[in-house]
Amino acid sequence: MGVGSVLYYSFHPSELRSILQWKIWHNPVHERNVKDETETQKICFKFLDQTSRSFSAVIKELHPELLLPVCVFYLTLRGLDTIEDDTSIPLETKEPLLRGFKDIMEQDGWTFAGNRPEEKDRELLVQFHNVITEYKNMKPAYRAIIKDITDKMGNGMADYCRKAALEDASVKTTVEYDLYCYYVAGLVGEGLTRLFVEAEFGNPALLKRANLHKSMGLFLQKTNIIRDVREDNDDQRRFWPKEIWSKHVSDFDDLFKPENQEAALNCSSEMVLNALEHAEDCLFYLAGLREQSVFNFCAIPQSMAIATLELCFRNPALFQRNIKITKGDACSLMTESTQNLRVVCDVFRRYARRIHKKNTPKDPNFLKISLVCGRIEKFIESIFPTQNVEDAKRKVVGELSAHEAERARLEAENRQDMWFMMALMGVIVLIVSIIMIGSAWLLGARFDLAWKEMTSGNFRPSKKSLDHEL
Amino acid sequence: MLQNVLISGGTGFVGAAIARALAEKYPECAITIIDLKPPGTIHVVPHGVLFVCVDITNADEVSKAIQQVQPEIVIHTAGIVPVLSERFARRLERHVWAVNVEGTRNMLEAAKRSGVKGFIYTSTCCVVTDQMDVPYANIDENWPTQSSSLIYGESKAAAESMVLEKSCETMATCSLRPSVLCGPGDYQLVPAIHACIAKGQTPFIIGNGLNLWDVTYVTNVADAHILAAENLMTTQTAAGEGFFIQNNDPITFRAFCLAIWGQFGHTPPFEVRIPQPLAYIVGLVFEFLAWIFGTTCNLSRGSVRDACSIRYASGAKARQVLGYEPQVGIKDGIRLSCEVDLNDKDYARRIGIELPAQVFSRKNN
Repeated sequence: MGVGSVLYYSFHPSELRSILQWKIWHNPVHERNVKDETETQKICFKFLDQTSRSFSAVIKELHPELLLPVCVFYLTLRGLDTIEDDTSIPLETKEPLLRGFKDIMEQDGWTFAGNRPEEKDRELLVQFHNVITEYKNMKPAYRAIIKDITDKMGNGMADYCRKAALEDASVKTTVEYDLYCYYVAGLVGEGLTRLFVEAEFGNPALLKRANLHKSMGLFLQKTNIIRDVREDNDDQRRFWPKEIWSKHVSDFDDLFKPENQEAALNCSSEMVLNALEHAEDCLFYLAGLREQSVFNFCAIPQSMAIATLELCFRNPALFQRNIKITKGDACSLMTESTQNLRVVCDVFRRYARRIHKKNTPKDPNFLKISLVCGRIEKFIESIFPTQNVEDAKRKVVGELSAHEAERARLEAENRQDMWFMMALMGVIVLIVSIIMIGSAWLLGARFDLAWKEMTSGNFRPSKKSLDHEL
Repeated sequence: MLQNVLISGGTGFVGAAIARALAEKYPECAITIIDLKPPGTIHVVPHGVLFVCVDITNADEVSKAIQQVQPEIVIHTAGIVPVLSERFARRLERHVWAVNVEGTRNMLEAAKRSGVKGFIYTSTCCVVTDQMDVPYANIDENWPTQSSSLIYGESKAAAESMVLEKSCETMATCSLRPSVLCGPGDYQLVPAIHACIAKGQTPFIIGNGLNLWDVTYVTNVADAHILAAENLMTTQTAAGEGFFIQNNDPITFRAFCLAIWGQFGHTPPFEVRIPQPLAYIVGLVFEFLAWIFGTTCNLSRGSVRDACSIRYASGAKARQVLGYEPQVGIKDGIRLSCEVDLNDKDYARRIGIELPAQVFSRKNN
């Protein structure tokens, strides 16, 4: 820890507390059993650590039933992503690889060394046979799910690359934006949901309501797209749909110019509004999960996402540098996201209110943002009411609820205790006084003279007599 | 489906909106309006509507009008809403009860005698929420109505329970409870909020500013009445039931005010947060001064609690039973409530607007 962080945490002790709380008190629901793992499994987990910062910790705490399937699923998609991202691979090579990746998963010993050296996850594909080995060891039901999603995502990516190579692939409408997010994140949500339901850790209804798991992915992806706008733009990538930014600036690069700050903030708040529309679905989805580790796995990124949205909302720094929620906040969010839905709802409400507070009438979407925050709050109220009809009915007839009656009783008790203590003190004072005055009297104190002097108005010993004695 | 409808209070804000919605959906339907004052220019009633001047507190007049028209549906919107300065007082209690409760009794009995099939009462969410000690977050129709709250809520609750109890085989009744209304011609909500600009009160936020309210755009509540009438003429699943009606999009009171001020081109230059207890004390002082000088005042403990209260309903029952969904959203509703039509100088005058040039230029875009 450097001097900077020492200084930072001495002014933010609550953040330090959150970090310690998470590090010390967090008990994983399930822990990996490292010594029973095969060599290929160990390698898969090593790659998981290398390729993902945020997901590897939550994946490794998953229920043993889903631990490997989710890990392999993640690495497979990461493999796909590494091929897609690499601009040095020509389209003729890339397209068949992406479209055929579902069959590649069945080829023992397949590896790929065609990535450029600076591609950060290159090593994963160089040793991809380990992932394939674990994929083939999985239950057929899980394998089928992963294969299907790999197929859909591979084709989606191939379509996108083809479009990017041959024509303009920039995101124009909000529909295209949703579609893009669906391919890169919504599909992951679908695959994971099918795995959860297959393992009986999730309510089968989650699959029937496709918009729920779709929203889970879209909420995260859209948050990342908003947060990374500067970094992406520096890398010549633009994901903000033209339909939204063109309302505020005429050229996307204008968003980053200081003179357009007001327009840029309005644009980002419209992006945040677009993301917030998914928040209700996400909470609804979380209500359908039946296993704690799966709940944690899903809830942590969602809480982080709404906190990140709050951080990005009307924050000019968004266009200047990479912004991140503080480590202390992240730890307290993780603690809160590993309890139950009610606590996660509190997180959502807290951040929705903060967004609400930052909202300004200068923003053209002021009212819409206000309404979407209101809807989130109403939704939370509908699943966890803060008050109930029975209490209200009792209030009408003037009857107290058990809780209120208990409180009234305790209050009465407290009052009684207080009176008793005061009476006791009085008695003690009385006894002490009697003893002291009595002993003075026994030793010959002349209370009669003192009384006489006092009645004639002399409250102090007279100066004269003192002088005389001297 | 609807052929002969009588609307009491039909020249008022809600009544005229119902008449217009009815005439649009059922052009063949005979519409009769009974009210104290004839149709004016503010709340326009459709052509071909029969107007009968009736004082609903007079049982004979009511009875005669209903006997004559023989409607199949009676929509009873006539009632009195005390102005803000009287809302928390008891000075108007007798008058309010005479109109809201005895007037409703007259309507109900006359309707029953002349064989009306469906009776729809325009109630208010205040039957529950005027009891201001508790917050009302996402309440539903199981919440009890309050027999001791404010004069308005009490009188409407008494009238509503009378109406719902009278529901029977021959005459089905139901009650709609709209929240605070807005719309063109509203003389209470938007004008009061607009007046804050001139008084320089817009920077002050009482409480945390996060308390959610329901607001209803006036045509939505008119639609709800027609859905209720259709229901009582057909399935009668709404018979004997009360329904909360609102835009189903709760909004913080602060955001609502800011949006309205925004329509007039005003943004508060700065913000001052006043904690609720402090505002409450200020309210008390104002009440005391008003009492000393024998005046009335809009700032009081009651109005502070109003501004800080949480009041929104779930809206699920109206959706399920009546099939009600708001057709005009809050955003459009606010815009329409504040928009000043060049031809409607009267409305501008009444809400006290010095017409700013930009309102027009924005409208023309």
